[in-house]
Parts: sequence; structure tokens; C-alpha cells
Amino acid sequence: MTSVLISAIKRLHISITPPLRLYSSNVTVTPANTNLTITRKEWAFQPQYTKPREVWIENLDTVEEQKLGLFELHPSVYAASPRIDIMHQNVIWQRKVRWVSWAHTKTRAEVRGGGRKPWPQKGLGRARHGSIRSPLFRGGGVVHGPRSGKSHFFMLPFYTRILGLTTTISAKLAQDDLHVVKDLELPTDEPGYLEELIEKRNWGPSVLIVDDTDYAPRNITAALDNLPHVNIMPVYGLNVYSMLKHDTLVLTIAAAEKIEERILRLLHSDTRQQQRAFQLDQV
Amino acid sequence: MSFLGLRVLDVLWKPTVNIVRHRYHADKTRLVRRYGYKEQIWSGGLLPRALGKPLPIPEYRPSNAWTERRALFGQNDYIDILGPGDLHPVKTLYTVPSWIRGVSGSEYHILLRKKKMWSKTASPAIRPTKWKELQKRISFLYRKLNRKTKTGFSPD
Repeated sequence: MTSVLISAIKRLHISITPPLRLYSSNVTVTPANTNLTITRKEWAFQPQYTKPREVWIENLDTVEEQKLGLFELHPSVYAASPRIDIMHQNVIWQRKVRWVSWAHTKTRAEVRGGGRKPWPQKGLGRARHGSIRSPLFRGGGVVHGPRSGKSHFFMLPFYTRILGLTTTISAKLAQDDLHVVKDLELPTDEPGYLEELIEKRNWGPSVLIVDDTDYAPRNITAALDNLPHVNIMPVYGLNVYSMLKHDTLVLTIAAAEKIEERILRLLHSDTRQQQRAFQLDQV
Repeated sequence: MSFLGLRVLDVLWKPTVNIVRHRYHADKTRLVRRYGYKEQIWSGGLLPRALGKPLPIPEYRPSNAWTERRALFGQNDYIDILGPGDLHPVKTLYTVPSWIRGVSGSEYHILLRKKKMWSKTASPAIRPTKWKELQKRISFLYRKLNRKTKTGFSPD
């Protein structure tokens, strides 16, 4: 009787998600600096068993770093486990997806000339030949050579690519190479100012700045024109290769939230459409 | 006294001298220096090629890793994840010609697609030789793949 009851309950598939909210810091902070803004975020998809990651909000309008506040990042996006193999797969995919080899050789049919028999079949004591463009001849065609338009295209599975993004961004955060800034307003359009700032804050030789809009403020775009190793991208341009190529990743608050929102939405929605095998006519 | 003795010996005793008519080369002993060890490593200073023309080593020209193309490599590859979701990354491969963008396949597959897409353009009229070679290659590959390639047993 009891076993029947238990199996009936099991068949109901009742799953209770604990309404758990783990705070990254449980102490109630009373900052000495009253200007510090501390943001506790309420996501649409709360982290259940892992704590949110906290980052400082920094500024760009002075060379010295000022901490403007604390900010929470969702652990599903910014605290994924560092999978180097997934990063490698993503980088290889990014290199191969656009790689078309244009190396080309001509076959004996395509090399000019060679229609006439070079010498009679018999009677000369020479080897028999039918065309001066045969692969045996100098200047003849090439056998099994590269043919132009060799594509290396393939699509990496959808969730491998999402995982590539989250794992890389998490590794950047864990290694203190990810910085969140309030906005991209600079006091001047001199590239020297930005170089000094990067030097002072130890951001390394190359920096990738990500904003959520297509249009960055004028000062920063003018400064970046002469700095080839400091680059700016919109959120939708962010990718694994660039994150690994640049030493430091600088996100604005809006960009960090947008990345989080987009990835969280995909992690919690029906993505069978995106997960299907790539068809040429789908794009 | 000893001097006198030597003089007497010189007078009385004459050593026998054999006259050798031929001194054969094989009998000559050569002076062997350093117990026959021969130094293989050149230790006479700089090599003589320093005097003449230097060997043709290409000048080292490192490529600039931060040109715009290299610095922004891979941008928009995740546009379907991070963008609004209505654009596929294959759509953004502007540097790849349209007839091969997002295509994976053998040479035959790619040429068939190229032919299909080129036939609608002015290409056959503008580049007749290219067009002829394309068709020739397709028919060659068709014969090779269908008549001369073993495909093994059918799965059924």
C-alpha cells in the first residue's frame, strides 16, 4: 500500500526549487564613502546554488582609479567553470568559419596548349608522349594539386558557443582581467591620456572595451583611432577570439547587464530552433 | 783525462756505415702530433665567408599583429547569441564570396553551387574560358565520382 503511494507521488514529478538567494556578502555594508552605490540585483532567473560575483564599478574620467560602487554579476554567466578545451574549440571554429583556401593549380586540361602530339609514337627512339602539358613535362599540369575554393566551414554547436563565451568571460573575471566601468566618457580625446590610464591601472598592453551601443562618445573614439592595441566593440561584436587576444576586457555597466540578460535568456528558454543542424538556406 | 780517452776512441774505433740506396716512402715515419688527435672544430676565428657576400637570409619582417583586420578578427561571430537574435553569424562573413559563404563540401559540391549561382550573372558571357573550365571540371568530377570511385556496400 505504501509502495503504491510512493510510486504515485514519484509519478507526479513534483520538483520544488528552493527560493534561495545567496548573497555574495552577507554582512550589511556601511561604507565610509557614502557615494558608493551598492547594487543588489534581482534577475529574472535567480542563481540557486552559487553566489553572485561582485565587481567594482570603476571610472574612466580620471587616471587614478576610483571605485564608484559595487555591482553584482550573475554566476551562470560570469562564474562558469574555466573550460580551456571549450575555449580552444571556439577559437578554432572562429578561425575556420571564414577560412577559404584560394590556392589553385591548373590541370593538364587547363594549361594552355598541348593539343598536338609532340613527336611521332614510333621510330625516334624517344619516349612516347601525347601532350606537352602532361604532368611529366616541365610546365605541364599538376595532378591532385590544390583546387581553388576549399572551404573549411562548419558550425560549432549552439551551446558550445554559449559556453565558450561564458567560460572565457568567467576566466577573465577570475583572473582580474575584467573591469566594469560606469561609462566611457573621457575628459580629453588625447590618446596619451588613455595610455597613461592603462599603464597606471596595470591593464596590460591591449584592452578591449565593450559598450552596449553602436556609437561611443566622441572623445574615446578619437583617442582609440591612434591606439591599435586598444579596441572598442559593441556587445553583439564580443567574441572568444578577441577576448583572448586582448589582455583586459573592459565592460560598461550596460554592456555587462546586456551580455548577462542575453545569455541568461538563452540558457532558460526553448532553443531547439538555434540548436538544429546548420542549413545553407536558413540564412 | 776523459778528453784524451775520447780522442783515442775516435782514432781506433770506426762505426760501420751501411749505405742505403733507396729510402722508400712507406719506410718514412711521419711526425705524429697530439697523439694523432685531429681537431674537427674550426678554431681559427671567424669563418671565411664573412669576407665575401653574405648568405641570402631573408630580412626578418615581423607582421603587425594589431592591424585593424587582425585586431578585430572574429567580431560578430556570436551575433546570434549576443545580438537581437535575428541575424546569423554566417550573414556577417562579408569577406567571403557569397557562393562559398557558409558552404562545406567537396570540390564537386562547391563547383555545382558556384555554377548554379554564376549562371544567373553575366559571368559566363564575360569570362567564357573560366566558365568552360568550370563545366569541364564538373563533368570530369562527375565521371570520376560516379563511374570510377568505389563506394563500398550499401548500408541496407
